[in-house]
Amino acid sequence: MKSRFDVIVVGAGPAGSTAAYTLAKKGFDVLVVERGRSPGSKTLYGGRVYAKPLKEIYPEFEKKAPIERWVKKERMTFMAEGGSLTLEYSSKTSTSFTAYLSKLSEWMASQAEEAGAVIVTDVRVDSFLKEDGRITGVRAGQDEVRAGVVIDAEGVNRLLLERLGWVPKLEKSQVALGLKETYRLGSEKIEERLGLGKKEGMAWFMIGSATGNIPGGAFLYTYQNTVALGIVVFLHKAVEHAQQHIFEYLEELRLSPPFSNLLKDGVLVEYGAHLTPELGLKLKPPRLYGDGFLIVGDAAGLLLNLGYTVRGVDFAAYSGYLAAQAVEKAGGDYSARSLSIYEDMLEESFIMRELRRHARVSKLMENERFFTTYPELAFALAHRLFEFEETSPTFLEAFRETTKGRVSKLRLLLDMLEVARGP
Amino acid sequence: MTIQQLKKLKVDEALNANVWDVDEEPHIKVDFSKCVECDTKPCVRLCPAGCFTLLDKEVLFSYEGCVECGTCRIVCPKDAVDWNYPLSGRGVQYRFG
Repeated sequence: MKSRFDVIVVGAGPAGSTAAYTLAKKGFDVLVVERGRSPGSKTLYGGRVYAKPLKEIYPEFEKKAPIERWVKKERMTFMAEGGSLTLEYSSKTSTSFTAYLSKLSEWMASQAEEAGAVIVTDVRVDSFLKEDGRITGVRAGQDEVRAGVVIDAEGVNRLLLERLGWVPKLEKSQVALGLKETYRLGSEKIEERLGLGKKEGMAWFMIGSATGNIPGGAFLYTYQNTVALGIVVFLHKAVEHAQQHIFEYLEELRLSPPFSNLLKDGVLVEYGAHLTPELGLKLKPPRLYGDGFLIVGDAAGLLLNLGYTVRGVDFAAYSGYLAAQAVEKAGGDYSARSLSIYEDMLEESFIMRELRRHARVSKLMENERFFTTYPELAFALAHRLFEFEETSPTFLEAFRETTKGRVSKLRLLLDMLEVARGP
Repeated sequence: MTIQQLKKLKVDEALNANVWDVDEEPHIKVDFSKCVECDTKPCVRLCPAGCFTLLDKEVLFSYEGCVECGTCRIVCPKDAVDWNYPLSGRGVQYRFG
């Protein structure tokens, strides 16, 4: 293999492959180094991707990408010990789809390869090469490869950035831990049990006892023939609150109604776990560019968790797309000053606009009442309204009774205000 | 593989559903001398693959079922985990990630 390229990309996830694809199409000589056996073999996420940014990047994305189902039903469930309260949204239209990230990453890498990028798998990059203060390439074992620009798309575990001294060691308050079981159920059962049409998908979030009240949430996504059920817990909260092995919480959720019936006769095909950036801006390195260097995707901390939905894959891919454009605009001058245009482009893009607009959500996520008191309260209120014997309470009576002893009116008001301003 | 799902699965049973190419060499090394002084041992509860177990208050570690998530590295209060990814594409092979 050649020992010099225009650009080296570390990691063939959505961010890395999209950067490579975009650059290769522009005629750059690109090398992608991936540690997995194939692109996507080391990646795991919840299950849903917002389509628009990807449609902008990849022509005929909708026709060719491995899309499983278009999300036309959303559910949000507040789970309590005694039962649950669910909101369901149904739509004839959709802006997001479910996909296996393994397959989607593989597809993106194949697009990059078709465009002319070289993708090397089975190779773990051990460090960046730094010469005279600039990043000049990567080292893997004894091998060194050099390039004008290195794009870091290594993912949430930023071993390379840490070794470089670019970021401090990852802290547990910066990430959440996601666990996911995938069950093969067959498309008929999925559609029948969840009231979905062909190719129609569901994204379902749960909070409260779904995670044993550990701050975070649970999710269910439908693919064509499988269903993924998982939990995501804020790692520092899980360290503090987990009373049993974390997998037990997922199993308890799976065996509780309605999931036990929903997944009946399903065959477990995979169980995995992954860290995810939380509270995005907290994880974003102070600078995403350096001399001969750019950072994209999860490594850049570009993920938004709104509590009722999560965006990460479209942000990752789009950051790779922007990084590629920045490299082109730099016009051969790959100094930090020249490449800083990437951060400007990112700032002006929907990614940073979204992250900043929703910055207050991080305050919400720190408020444990949203994961304990309020899901319980939501259920208790519905319980009081629906389950009466002779006299039915007025809404105000039910509200007074259920909030009593749980939370003060002022506290509740302030928290609701926080919700209104937050996500 | 079919699993009767009416009872709780053990984490090992769940991991058995996966495709693996386990490395011969561990990619993670644990300095157990530090574990002796650790009161909380969060790795035991939080490693999603159950790689850290307790035997008579002693921490045991096996890398074989590791899903390479990085949790142990971050939750360890004693900095006892020397963490890396496996070489040559070894380890878990996600198909439905």
